[in-house]
Amino acid sequence: MDKKQYEILALMLRYWFVLLLICILYILLKKVIIYKQGGTVKRTTGNIPFILVLYTLSAFGLLAGREPGGYDLDVLLLGAIISVVVLFQFYFLFYFFKGIDEVLLSIVDTLAVLGLVMLQRLSPELAMNQVEWFIYGNVGMFIFIMIFSRNIDLGRLTYPLMISGIAVLVVVLLFGKESGGAKRYVVLGPFSVQPSEFVKLIFIFVLAYYLKIKRTFFQNLPLYIFAALSVILVVLHKDLGSALQYFLLFISIYYIATSDWLLTGAAVATGIVGAAISYKLFSHVRVRVQAWKNPWADIGGGGYQVAQSLIAIGSGGLIGFGLGLGEPNVIPASRTDFIFAAICEEFGILTGAAVIILFGLLLVRGMQKGLESDKETDTLLVCGCVISLTIQAFIIIGGVIKLIPLTGITLPFVSYGGSSMFVSMCIAGMMQGISIKNYRLAKAFEALDEPDELEYEGEGFNEQD
Amino acid sequence: MSRMNSNTKVKVSMNRIKRNMRSCIFVLLSLYLVLLVYFAYTLFMYSDRWFADPGNTRVKVDMSNPRIIPGRIYDRNMLTLVETGTKTEDNGQVVFYRKYHELSRCAAHVIGNRQLGIGAETRFIKYLLGYDNNLIERVYQKAFLNREQGNNIILTIDIELQRYADEALGDRSGSIVLINPKNGEILAMVSHPDFDPSDPGKDMKNESLVNKAIYGKYPPGSIMKLITAAAAISHLEGAEEFTLECKGRTDIDGISVSCYSERAHGLVDMNRALEVSCNAYFAKLAVDLGWKNLRSTAERFGFNRDFIFEEVITTKSVFPTSGTKSTEELAWAGVGQDEVLVSPLHMALIASSIANDGKMPEPKLIHGIQRRNGSIVYKSGTKTALNTVPTEIAQALKGMMINAVEEGTGKKAYKQGIEIAGKTGTAEVGNGSLPHAWFIGFAPAEDPSIAIAVIIERAGSGGSEAAPVAGDLISRAIRLGY
Repeated sequence: MDKKQYEILALMLRYWFVLLLICILYILLKKVIIYKQGGTVKRTTGNIPFILVLYTLSAFGLLAGREPGGYDLDVLLLGAIISVVVLFQFYFLFYFFKGIDEVLLSIVDTLAVLGLVMLQRLSPELAMNQVEWFIYGNVGMFIFIMIFSRNIDLGRLTYPLMISGIAVLVVVLLFGKESGGAKRYVVLGPFSVQPSEFVKLIFIFVLAYYLKIKRTFFQNLPLYIFAALSVILVVLHKDLGSALQYFLLFISIYYIATSDWLLTGAAVATGIVGAAISYKLFSHVRVRVQAWKNPWADIGGGGYQVAQSLIAIGSGGLIGFGLGLGEPNVIPASRTDFIFAAICEEFGILTGAAVIILFGLLLVRGMQKGLESDKETDTLLVCGCVISLTIQAFIIIGGVIKLIPLTGITLPFVSYGGSSMFVSMCIAGMMQGISIKNYRLAKAFEALDEPDELEYEGEGFNEQD
Repeated sequence: MSRMNSNTKVKVSMNRIKRNMRSCIFVLLSLYLVLLVYFAYTLFMYSDRWFADPGNTRVKVDMSNPRIIPGRIYDRNMLTLVETGTKTEDNGQVVFYRKYHELSRCAAHVIGNRQLGIGAETRFIKYLLGYDNNLIERVYQKAFLNREQGNNIILTIDIELQRYADEALGDRSGSIVLINPKNGEILAMVSHPDFDPSDPGKDMKNESLVNKAIYGKYPPGSIMKLITAAAAISHLEGAEEFTLECKGRTDIDGISVSCYSERAHGLVDMNRALEVSCNAYFAKLAVDLGWKNLRSTAERFGFNRDFIFEEVITTKSVFPTSGTKSTEELAWAGVGQDEVLVSPLHMALIASSIANDGKMPEPKLIHGIQRRNGSIVYKSGTKTALNTVPTEIAQALKGMMINAVEEGTGKKAYKQGIEIAGKTGTAEVGNGSLPHAWFIGFAPAEDPSIAIAVIIERAGSGGSEAAPVAGDLISRAIRLGY
């Protein structure tokens, strides 16, 4: 395409993208609000997969014409692959596992599609990798659905997982690779893996399986040690975002499971003291806090990231510059931590708000699934999944828009990063597995209740009780 | 029923878990709500400023081959101050450049320069590059024009008046702001030392690039007495009739307060005290008022407030907030010394608010936007930035200010045929140098159409240095038809 043709097309398609996203939001919002708990309401995917495919194809179709002269079919092909994956999820998985939650799946896919489109625009090579990881993530989701939709007791795995989690974090501390001031990555052959993401899965699992049984303080001691050690180790990696996430995850799940105000309060107090100590101890923490207070004061130094992010967000306006017309590459870490700013710049504030609302819907829907479940582990697992994603999204979006000090962490499903994408998909799989379990349970009760409707058999059924 | 019985033990803790979960949803959802509200709020308030930030590479214009030709800047009478010109270089290549009118020098800070990241060239880049155009216009330009065309800005500045103000200040450091008190349109805004916007490297001095009218922070000196008087009228009963014997160096509750050049004013009431600018009287009022009352009135006039105006960025004026200040400091704060700091624009706004029966208008710099086809969209509509004091108090202050010009310290601002209301200020700066000379006022007092703030740094007393400049400018402005 000619450069001017591309610009005109991108300018006009801004409205189209916002419209599609609003359609998705509307359908999801309706489904979340009229959701009947425990019921097996007719579950349909509605038009969401169709809209998503439309979104993907039009975005990738536009980006294919970005380079002047010619039409890059590889880009279109990538869009088609993503569409196939989305359709596969919606039709194949739905056929295979009855009871998959269409809202959760739609939210995850919408976020992933947004992220992939943005990555394709920011850096085509990375988008290719990320699509690969999106597919692996789907495999991971599939495996987690298989595991968690069955009634098998995984309690035996608690202690081995605790030990391996700590071991992995120690390995990172010893052999980790530094990037962006934090020691996050371990190089495994061709891959560079971020173990703290995988330990998050262990963390959610261990918390749920450990806290399902009421124990005394001393019986709980191994859990406390595990939680404290992992938080401290992650702080030593200088990965403050993850540390904050682990910490908040622990106190919220702990409180939900035990209603123990005393220890929760003590943990919060410890956390605050720890934050104060790290503020005094680490200069990079102080820089972050300064940049949060006033990023413009030191725009060439510590405040650069946040200031550039704010400039990008402010430049986009309501519906953005148009895909490919802004300069999101100026924002530091625009592919990972600051992808929200890049999305706001090119797709506009409305899309940014839609991302926040999507995460909000994910929270509500996840909790609905948790409330539906009748097993403590399942409820706690869902809580862990939802809270982990919520905290992660809040920390990074809040940091990017200067609501809270910035701590580097990925935006789940959206940011570039194989580990992040894979683990987020696994978490989604965990939630889906439990949703399926709930569905089977409800189906079973429905089958039991059926005689009730027929009067002559109803009597007999009650006597059997 | 069967499930109820067999699971009773578990259910109890389950209920608790689910109850906790519900409260957890509530907390987390409110987190998202905070995120969403803050996101909307911050973008609504600041996104224009962020867009215009000099660090924004998206609006950098490559002048050798611009994609968008930046628009012109006019003064309010459509005199072109800046435009994009072309010149042919020796090798035959056509180069674009920003062409400054010779008069643009006297409005250097207002017009500014994109490279330096100041002034209208930076602040209003959104209009100059046409980012405010609607979709149809943008698509049309992209489709049919060789280079896109930005919009032209019509500033509220009157370059004629601006030139008078610039000349009045001469080579003295300081700042002058002339503003329409009714709608907040800034008619002239001068800051010295200045620079040449067409060639910023030339005769650059230390503070040349700072627009002191909006970023300067000066002690207000006696101008603060207007605020002390307003506070006294609203908080102390019978304050207007209160009298005090001024001895040049007067003892106020154990604090010795001296008047300017230790002149004894004799028995003064509020009217007379403002007229002659008696320190002792207002120090006494400040002490009687106490920190809390004085601060609350100052804050109603916009002190300690982040002014977020749509078209003008200005610094925050400071009134001391710490609670551990002594009475002596309070007495000096009441006459505008201590740690009170103001910007000249804020002073002009205070004058406007008194002129305007207590309503402080939001300052404006854009008169209108001219589109590519020549049509002009005027930015009409006045926004009230603050409601400062009730009408009666504003009227009382106005009366005293008229007297101050007719018989008091502001005599040198007096002009035949124009009723000017004003207040002088002489702000001590220490280090043995001369004080800053201040004057704020408005005219005609009956139906004010022009408000002014003048500060001349280290020049002497406000009455002898700033007042004549202000009187001159006001009469010229009125002759120009404002």
